Amino acid sequence: MALISNLLALRRDPRILKLPPYLSALCIIVGVVWLLVLPLNEYSRNTYISENALLPGQVHTYFGGSEHNIFRAYRHEVAGLVGKPIEERSQRLGEIFKSSNLKVATQKYEYHASSRNVSGQNVYAVLQGPRADATEAIVLIAAWTNMDGEINHSGVALVLTLARYFKRWSLWSKDIIFLLAGDSTAGPQAWVDAYHDSHSPAAIDPLSIKSGALQGAVAIDYPAGPWGHRFDKLHVVYDGVNGQLPNLDLFNTAVSIASGQMGIGCTLQRMFQHDDSYQARLQTMLRGMISQGLGHASGPHSSFIPYHVDAITLQTVGDGWHDEMSLGRTLESLFRSLNNLLEHFHQSFFFYLLMQANRFVSIGTYLPSAMLLAVNFTITAIALWVASGRSDVPVANPASTSRSPAPKSEKAAGESEMTVLKTGSSIALIPTISLTITERHLFLPLTFIALTHFLALLPLYIFNNAPESLLDIAFNTTAVLTSILPTLAAYVLSIYHRPTQQEATLIQCFSLLLLGMFLSALATLNFSLSFLIGIFAAPLTFIRHIPLPTSPTSSILSKNRKPVSAVISLLLVAINPVIVIRAATLYWGKDIVEVLVQAAEGWHIFGLWTQVVVWLVWWPAWFAGGVVVARGMFS
Amino acid sequence: MVSFFIFLLLVAVTSAAASSDYSERLLLRPLPQSALLASFNFRSNESSASFEHQNFRYFPRSLGQILQHAHTKELHLRFSLGRWDADSWGQRPWDGTREGGTGVELWAWVDASSEEEAFSRWLTLTNALSGLFCASLNFIDGTKTIRPVMTFHPEGHHHNSSNLHLLHGTLPHEVVCTENLTPFVKLLPCKGKAGISSLLDGHKLFDASWQTMSIDVRPICAGDGSDCALEIEQNVDMVLDMDRSKRPRDNPIPRPAPIEEIACDASKPYNAEDTCYPLDKGEEPDWSLTDVFGKPIRGACPLTNSDGDGSETVCINVPPERSVQVNTKGSYVESKHAEDTMRCYQLPTGDDFDLMLPSQKMTTGLVRSQPPLTAARSINGHGQERGSIQAVITNPSLTEYVEFVYLESLPWFMKPYLHTLRARVSTSTENPVVETYYRPAVDRLRGTHLELLLRIPPVSTLTLTYDFDKAILRYTEYPPDANRGFDVAPAVIRLVSPQSQHSSRGTYLRTTSLLLPLPTPDFSMPYNVIILTSTVMALAFGNVFNLLVRRLVGADEMDAFGPRGIKGKLTGRLQRLMRAFKGKGGKAE
Repeated sequence: MALISNLLALRRDPRILKLPPYLSALCIIVGVVWLLVLPLNEYSRNTYISENALLPGQVHTYFGGSEHNIFRAYRHEVAGLVGKPIEERSQRLGEIFKSSNLKVATQKYEYHASSRNVSGQNVYAVLQGPRADATEAIVLIAAWTNMDGEINHSGVALVLTLARYFKRWSLWSKDIIFLLAGDSTAGPQAWVDAYHDSHSPAAIDPLSIKSGALQGAVAIDYPAGPWGHRFDKLHVVYDGVNGQLPNLDLFNTAVSIASGQMGIGCTLQRMFQHDDSYQARLQTMLRGMISQGLGHASGPHSSFIPYHVDAITLQTVGDGWHDEMSLGRTLESLFRSLNNLLEHFHQSFFFYLLMQANRFVSIGTYLPSAMLLAVNFTITAIALWVASGRSDVPVANPASTSRSPAPKSEKAAGESEMTVLKTGSSIALIPTISLTITERHLFLPLTFIALTHFLALLPLYIFNNAPESLLDIAFNTTAVLTSILPTLAAYVLSIYHRPTQQEATLIQCFSLLLLGMFLSALATLNFSLSFLIGIFAAPLTFIRHIPLPTSPTSSILSKNRKPVSAVISLLLVAINPVIVIRAATLYWGKDIVEVLVQAAEGWHIFGLWTQVVVWLVWWPAWFAGGVVVARGMFS
Repeated sequence: MVSFFIFLLLVAVTSAAASSDYSERLLLRPLPQSALLASFNFRSNESSASFEHQNFRYFPRSLGQILQHAHTKELHLRFSLGRWDADSWGQRPWDGTREGGTGVELWAWVDASSEEEAFSRWLTLTNALSGLFCASLNFIDGTKTIRPVMTFHPEGHHHNSSNLHLLHGTLPHEVVCTENLTPFVKLLPCKGKAGISSLLDGHKLFDASWQTMSIDVRPICAGDGSDCALEIEQNVDMVLDMDRSKRPRDNPIPRPAPIEEIACDASKPYNAEDTCYPLDKGEEPDWSLTDVFGKPIRGACPLTNSDGDGSETVCINVPPERSVQVNTKGSYVESKHAEDTMRCYQLPTGDDFDLMLPSQKMTTGLVRSQPPLTAARSINGHGQERGSIQAVITNPSLTEYVEFVYLESLPWFMKPYLHTLRARVSTSTENPVVETYYRPAVDRLRGTHLELLLRIPPVSTLTLTYDFDKAILRYTEYPPDANRGFDVAPAVIRLVSPQSQHSSRGTYLRTTSLLLPLPTPDFSMPYNVIILTSTVMALAFGNVFNLLVRRLVGADEMDAFGPRGIKGKLTGRLQRLMRAFKGKGGKAE
């Protein structure tokens, strides 16, 4: 009780507005440091299998012997189909499945995005499990072209051979679906959409054969040509669309079988040389975060994850001594483990950051770092709200011991503006100024924030629907336009002598409040995206509208208002989302048009939300900050 | 090229004129993709007079007494596993009348004066059968019981049909296993010791691609309604995968065959010592009863007739050119029916009997009769909140309309919206729904019962969809494997027209069962929540309580209050005593 009244007494204390910037800065620093300590042994954990039913690596594998001869023959068959028309290819692959007594069907799909056509044909076969009752199924995928666009010769041949081999076993308690997707990302998406009947029937065929609820999916990416290639390691790819991840148990099972039972090393996030040092762990984790933050479909497994079907891709990398039979036995053992599942994957984590094949941090450990970043915006927003309620006229501190700079005027004010308050028998003299209520003018700030968000729909629409040829121009135009737009907007507003000091504070307050709210909500769904945007938006906490100098004693900033505002505005351009994206593509040597086309494909095919977050959360916050600062350039 | 189903007609004829009290028959039919259909049929009669007097001869006493106790006049019980693959195997055996949906299905006509009495007798029946067949039939309670209106008709002859109540229950999650087979075989007069039932072995039966066990009890009467008898028919139908079944039991692992045993396609350009494109031999595989079932038939069951139709207990339905060798020491009789596509054998008594079919390149095959209707059902959509069911039913006939009844029995936690029910036919715009019977669910008391009478034009596909909501269960209502999902019973389809030519029982087919994922809580969470809330409660309560009851007294005002309460007075006295004692002690020193 006493504490609360003390706090209330502090309400009008000017010191209370000094604290938040330091608090925000502390949140940001702690948030970043928190992330940086995660790779340490003390903060991360070794992975473990939660679901006891999986029993990874507890079975003998028998794939080998004459199956190897058949695999080689199928690989030649696959090589013979390269360059053939899609129809012929599908028919031939279907025939091979049919010779193993499986039920075969095909599916055509066609997508349009950025005036590009993505079309192809999926071939799939269903092995009806002898112990199954059509209620559950697991999927083995090989896309015709792999994640790097090469023909997946050995992957497709391996699926064909495994289909023939699996058919002989009696112990399958789930149906097994062998899917040869037309390409690495759109094909599986079309298939899994149609499997759940959520496809657009105009462009995508429905599936003629279905099985039960999908329990898991494993994709193989093994592009070795007809004469084979021995690989060194398995690269496990696990990012789903929109940063969703498969259950950690599936990943762990794959790693434990590959490395424990077969002796094949596992890598992730393209960290092919991993010495388990702090740097390597951190780098793996950051790569994972960037990949998760982008949220694009990285492989055939990605499309399954939004449907709550846990999926991974196993990609062969390097030159070593493991051959296709080792990979086949890994898959055999993996499917035996999946076959053991009694329940849908649920035991282990769905939210995690991996820093090595057998080391991870779970959401409880890493979430505070993104949350602290989001909280820093909220703290500042609250401080700005409080500040906007203060009157501009300074209140004399009666307890001040320092000599007031203008004793005369203060005295005059103090004498004239005192109010006598009576409560019962008590009488108090209070400066009138501390009793006046400052009215907040909310209309302009709220309208401004709403309009900014609506304005952001325009580039979102343009980038999702512009044809490929125009994307380059559109992007550069947007970069220039968005960079000068805050200054322009501030200039236009300054003609009407708006926003006032209070309105500028409120604009920034609402914008940061929204940003903090969105980012903390997003952190629970896609931690990485929230963290990355939080980092890039962090400077927005510290910029302020510089007020007009009110008296000759005003601070240096106020006196040099225009140049300072101009410099900060220029610096802000550097964290313009569009400029940041451009800089990132330059840093990684990616073609910006390719990135934009992928984003548009993501929007139209995979239901990608990253651009929505960029345009409707990040960009409006930056724009509002820019206008607030640029207002200082105009009187 | 003669169709096989003449045999089914034959069976129907013999059943009508069943003179003998016990008969059994095994029909073997090789199917495409090296599958083998084995249909076991056992049938015994008891006159109703001796049944009333509990004079059981061939009718199993254990089952008979249950039926009498539960006043059950007609009973159908099914145990099924796997799926019938209509695309490659054609029409179902017995037109689907002797099979059930995945798991256990039971329906019976119970004699009772009111619905309540019928239901209580139904519960008696399910509980008793549960004990008899080692199945969880006792879990068929009010939520899993429906009273179908159009789908089922009594097979027997009943005189006082007004008092008969039809009840139907399913357990789609029940896993049929050896423990159900053993009591099933025990009901047979020869109990698996002799006759065709000696082939029934759990290892082979439950390795089948599809298998169903059925028990049907019905009264049959002569034309004038007198001279009634109670007939029990037991069937075991299974489709064995010959490659899997032929594997010896001590070496069941399908290791890759040695390369010498694999026929390679030498015409391929890449064919080499280490590269082999497997060649499809295109031959019928060789097999024998011993290979496929693990043992030969141990002679005839002595209770069967020794002559006449009922004596031919093993029949095999293969093209005339297929060679079939008989391996037995005893004497047997072979006869051919239906243009030689059906070979039937009288078994020797007391001697093993085996059939052997060598591998053979065939030039002719049997005509598979096409099923009159095919059906597939699936759950669409994803997420924890709602979904939709889609049933795709195809009429392959080129000329005939097909009219059928579609029955769904849904659990209460799956809440369909009838207004979202859409039935579309691919070839016409007319509404295929002729009649609808719908009884909505009541939470935790009964499930949804939906029966539709539908009509499909020739060569068309009917797509039936409806949306449903997923209910949230109480956390004690989840089974131990909550995250697996909940099974939804298969839909039952009965053909109304065209009528089956082979039997008066009608034609049935069932879809597969479905797995419905429900929103499942994290079951470790309640404990976390309890711990957290307890901590918060303890902290908050402690503080508030402290503020409410604590009296703040200045240190100088302390004496004015003086010692309070009995304890205070006592301690005060004690201290005074102590002081006095110390004072004395001091003096003494």
